[in-house]
Amino acid sequence: MSLRTKEGFYGYLFILPAMIIIGVFMLYPIVMTFWYSFTNYNGTEQNKFDMLFVPEDALQFHFGEFMEDLIPEDSQRLEKAFNAISLIEFDIGVKLSEEQKASFSNEYFKVGDLMNDFLTGSLAEQITVKQFLERYLTGKGRNLLSYQPVFTGFSNFTKAFKDPYFWTSLKNTLLFSAIVVPVQTLLALLLAVAANQKIWGQKFFKTTFFIPSVTSSAAISMIFSLIYTKPGILNQMFGIVGIPAVDWLNNPQTALGAVMAMNIWTTAGYFMVTYLAGLQQIPASILQAAQIDGASPSRIFWKIIVPLLKNQTIYIVTMGIISTLQVFDQIYMLIRNLRNVTLSYYIYKNAFEYGEMGYASALGVVLFILVFVVTYVFKRVYREERVVKEVKR
Amino acid sequence: MRTKYNYRKTLMYVVLIVYALLSLFPFIWSLLISFTPMTYTDDRGIERGVDIMEWPPEMDLFEFPPHFFGAPATGENYEEVFHIAPYGRWILNTLIYASMVTLANLFFDGLAGYAFARLRFRGRDLIFSLLMATMMVPFPAIIVPTYLLISDMGLINTFMGLILPKVSMVFGIFLMRQFFLNLPIEIEEAATIDGASIPRRAFSVMFPMARPAFITLGIYTFLNTWNDFMWPLIVTTKKEMFTLTIGLNFFKGSFYTVWPYMMAATMLMTAPMIILYFSSQKYFLEVNVSSGVKG
Repeated sequence: MSLRTKEGFYGYLFILPAMIIIGVFMLYPIVMTFWYSFTNYNGTEQNKFDMLFVPEDALQFHFGEFMEDLIPEDSQRLEKAFNAISLIEFDIGVKLSEEQKASFSNEYFKVGDLMNDFLTGSLAEQITVKQFLERYLTGKGRNLLSYQPVFTGFSNFTKAFKDPYFWTSLKNTLLFSAIVVPVQTLLALLLAVAANQKIWGQKFFKTTFFIPSVTSSAAISMIFSLIYTKPGILNQMFGIVGIPAVDWLNNPQTALGAVMAMNIWTTAGYFMVTYLAGLQQIPASILQAAQIDGASPSRIFWKIIVPLLKNQTIYIVTMGIISTLQVFDQIYMLIRNLRNVTLSYYIYKNAFEYGEMGYASALGVVLFILVFVVTYVFKRVYREERVVKEVKR
Repeated sequence: MRTKYNYRKTLMYVVLIVYALLSLFPFIWSLLISFTPMTYTDDRGIERGVDIMEWPPEMDLFEFPPHFFGAPATGENYEEVFHIAPYGRWILNTLIYASMVTLANLFFDGLAGYAFARLRFRGRDLIFSLLMATMMVPFPAIIVPTYLLISDMGLINTFMGLILPKVSMVFGIFLMRQFFLNLPIEIEEAATIDGASIPRRAFSVMFPMARPAFITLGIYTFLNTWNDFMWPLIVTTKKEMFTLTIGLNFFKGSFYTVWPYMMAATMLMTAPMIILYFSSQKYFLEVNVSSGVKG
């Protein structure tokens, strides 16, 4: 093998495991999110196939007769009265799609076997719906073995359009991003500039500001839920200045704002470190030259420092946008009011509490597009800057 | 000019000190509460309740044990956390989850990062830019198919289900590639001339040199997995399989929360990460800065 082909061989070999994982757990879910968003996929229906039931009970219901009254000779009579679809849909309780029903006829069900098992009393034990159906379905009947979502076109999107909670959660998401991103970026910049002087304790400040970002959002949420309680420390402090006590997290007027403040507190220090690293790369001679030329501190800041930090700003704002638009943990832990939730939380709620996975996927598509559009627009604004960077390279 | 400068410097100090207090205060406050008993018996033998919302708190730091809210500090909340919840099991679960994900990422991301940086193969740059594009995909958007996939594999409430989707991260590959790109190519060329095969070059020459990058990636992954919330929330439904972040909800009463227990549980899961941070601060800052400037 030549070196070239060897490199190719090992190149593919080395990326293979990572590509399989990313393909299966990243690319496939992306494609499937789009597909599910056009279906009525329902998680609870899916789970029904794993539900335990006693077939004997279901069959007694189906025929309206008790086991004790039946003798083996009834087999023929019962076989005629038997209707597989109605057994599955009404006596077991699993919904079938129209397509599944249309493709089915009684010849795909081993009715004889079932009657035999039923009348000899061998169906008295609990089994799952899937196990039961696997035993008696043959041929095309095996279509009934799993839950099949139905393609419903754009109905999830029209549903979202009419769903006031969707609009509320979308508005909250945008509001969250629109407030948190600028505030945390400016705060990070302010702190970095403050720390970037020949001052005592620079390392201490850097270390301290970073701590909130290594703590889990679940833990931070719990700490703040204590601080935000009505008799809590925040209200006590505000009480000193005469501000009346507010139940920050239970009041729909203040809940989202309280979570935003907490979010800013968590990330500002982290991004401050990014800015500080950038500031330390600016040669002191540039700033001295500007000072000698008589530029005022605010002029130096806006005309020299801020433009030189453009790379850091792009990174911080992009990361900020991506993470705030999908904020979930803190909302899950702290918000109890559906009027204050974000899109991510509403996706979770629909998928895992209401079982509406098709609808949740449609909301996922909206989130997906939202993140891409906002990031794209932001990058577009800075495009000129990027061109300059490319040329330099 | 001189006084103006001093005035500015003082102002900066004030900003820094206020923000440092703001950063530390919530932790100190919850630490104090985690050591505060629910009730205590006073000198006269009368049982008294403790009000942790009391302001200003009645502190007595020079006594032993110190008093934070008028009552002698105690470690019993920490013991209680292990009694009322399977907290030990949650620590174990979180340790398994975080360390397995970390080890897997070191191996797979390291290999892929090396290949993307140093091996030439058809479609390399195309595949890499495709990967970069997926970094923007919000996890909540694709949570439904990811869950259904793991559920169809029968992996709900298993470690495999928790770990599998996380064993390779695009960001990890990016970080490792970035590092390998910055290593001098001459060393590898020398190894090639000496007749080293590609796997040998990777494993015996490049990977040992990439030690700092591996530590950085390891710490980053461990921290993120330890703190992970949404995925364990969905994959674990049994109490025995919870991770620490999910277990925290257990201490949240629907009408009334026992704050000292809650804060003890919070401190227990936060402390290891803060200790890890203090012991390897350099690597934490490395992730921040390297992704920031080169990204």
